[in-house]
Amino acid sequence: MEAILQKDRLGQWVAQLSTRARVFAPAFVDDVWGYGPVETGAEVPLDHGNTTRPPKNFVFPQREVLYRFRVQDRHAPQITPTVPEPEPAVVFGVRPCDGRAMVRNDKVFTCGVVDPYYQARRDKVVFVGLACSAPPSPNCFCQSVGGSPHSEDGLDVLMTELEGRYHVKTLTARGLELLDAARSLFDDAGAADAGEVERAHAAARAYPQRTLASQEQVVDGLKRNFDSPKWAELARACIGCGACTYLCPSCHCFDINDEITGTSPLAGERVRTWDNCQFPDFTMHSSGHNPRDDTGSRLRQRVAHKLLYFVENHGIQQCTGCGRCITHCPVGIDIVRVTHEVAEV
Amino acid sequence: MNANVYLPQLARIAHIKDEVGGARAIKTFRVEFLDGGGFEHECGQCAMISVFGKGESMISIASAPSIKDYKQFSIMRVGRVTAAIHDMQVGDVIGVRGPYGNRFPVADWKGRNLTFIGGGCGLAPIWPVIQTAVANRGDFGNITVFYGGRTSRDILYRAELEKLRGMADVHLSVDSPEEGWEGYCGFVPANIMDKPQSPENAIAITCGPPIMIKYVIGNLSAMGFADEQIYTTIENKMKCGVGKCGRCNVGKDYVCVKGPVYSWAELKGLPQEY
Repeated sequence: MEAILQKDRLGQWVAQLSTRARVFAPAFVDDVWGYGPVETGAEVPLDHGNTTRPPKNFVFPQREVLYRFRVQDRHAPQITPTVPEPEPAVVFGVRPCDGRAMVRNDKVFTCGVVDPYYQARRDKVVFVGLACSAPPSPNCFCQSVGGSPHSEDGLDVLMTELEGRYHVKTLTARGLELLDAARSLFDDAGAADAGEVERAHAAARAYPQRTLASQEQVVDGLKRNFDSPKWAELARACIGCGACTYLCPSCHCFDINDEITGTSPLAGERVRTWDNCQFPDFTMHSSGHNPRDDTGSRLRQRVAHKLLYFVENHGIQQCTGCGRCITHCPVGIDIVRVTHEVAEV
Repeated sequence: MNANVYLPQLARIAHIKDEVGGARAIKTFRVEFLDGGGFEHECGQCAMISVFGKGESMISIASAPSIKDYKQFSIMRVGRVTAAIHDMQVGDVIGVRGPYGNRFPVADWKGRNLTFIGGGCGLAPIWPVIQTAVANRGDFGNITVFYGGRTSRDILYRAELEKLRGMADVHLSVDSPEEGWEGYCGFVPANIMDKPQSPENAIAITCGPPIMIKYVIGNLSAMGFADEQIYTTIENKMKCGVGKCGRCNVGKDYVCVKGPVYSWAELKGLPQEY
């Protein structure tokens, strides 16, 4: 359904939702623009550029305990699974590129073998999207990877900012529940509102954006130039910091390690943490053999995973054009430029 | 399979055999699942071994699928987890989850001549196929096994290989001449060139160090083997086993799901990132 929320009622809506779920919105967390809990009565900042940290953490936290173990002498270890039972969460201010990234994450974690940790979190989080009225970043290219400033994919609600008010469109049953929780705060959306929404969306689409060549051109170009010497040239400056993948809303690679919490008896946690294909030891065998032992092959892995392999496996590009990896690369490696140079498109 | 894919089943080490000593020690562990646990597997599949407090490692299942009472793993001491399991004793409990990966299409090979070519620890992943082939000897044509270790002290399954004679042609090798060694002296790829195999109605299965596999495949091609007649099993670093952690990704494939078994024809279609 579609409805209108006056801007001065947003706080009341959030207060109402806070009685049934934890509400999150863009905030500085550890001095980085990400998502934080909304304090009761505080303003919900929806006039921001996109967050530096994507909302990936809500479904796939950077560190997560898979289970705890305890080993008494030589007895059989006791294993206690720690599949989360999260409180319901509502996340405001999610941009359409990050909503579309959730669709990609769902494919990785819930198609075929279901990841129970991801699924438990995913079931409890509702994403309230915010349509972009202008590119939040000069490196946005959502429109050339199948998205748009007002894409609805992966979101439960889409809010569009209008003069003095928000147009609020529910996209899923869970989104509708958020409106039903505070129905009296909303006005009906009329024909004039619909026209204004359409004009706002059209203006956002018309705003200049960077462009990436079409999916078909990129797939074809990357295949043709897979062994291009340009990978090594373009990756020469890479310092392997991994900012590109840590800040990516759809990068999902992870490591699993044991962390010891006690030695007598032996106790510890099996922990999953984000990992990074740009790290030299990501693929290193215990023998020392490393299948991707140079920055060129590692850059190729990231670009080809996003724009070639994911298309081959799922029929869609994994990249949603948020531009974070470009903005935050300390040495200026740019996925759009790299793709165009290598693929010769 | 457990609904939580990351939870291992518990298995007790029932038997440990020292295969190879020294800096690159190999031991074979026979493990029995606790509490009626366990799983069926196919030739070529792997399992994730846990040593609690150390971590997990993906290891080929070296016992034949027909053996239901235990699983066997031949493990070289190379890293944190493999060193920890080498230090374990009979009766200790480890975690095992799996099976992971695809299989050697053994059923499709009935009536064909099989040539196995292994080097070092690479005999373990193809051992279930060898065991299955000799156990069903009448289903296959000639069975030939080439296997080489660096020295005679590095030969895995020495006694079992000797027992194969009579059921299969066995050609062992060591890298350099040694006093008392009656087999071939030289690298495995050279040993197969010394005793060329006919590609007629044949399948070649190879596993070993990457450099050995490369030259073996080159030599098989020179003998006339088509890419579809050559099978190998590759390994990459793995963490999840279910195509999510991204470690083993080669091209569009996750080796833990689409592999580890590939024909050379299939492998040629992937980037050489293994």
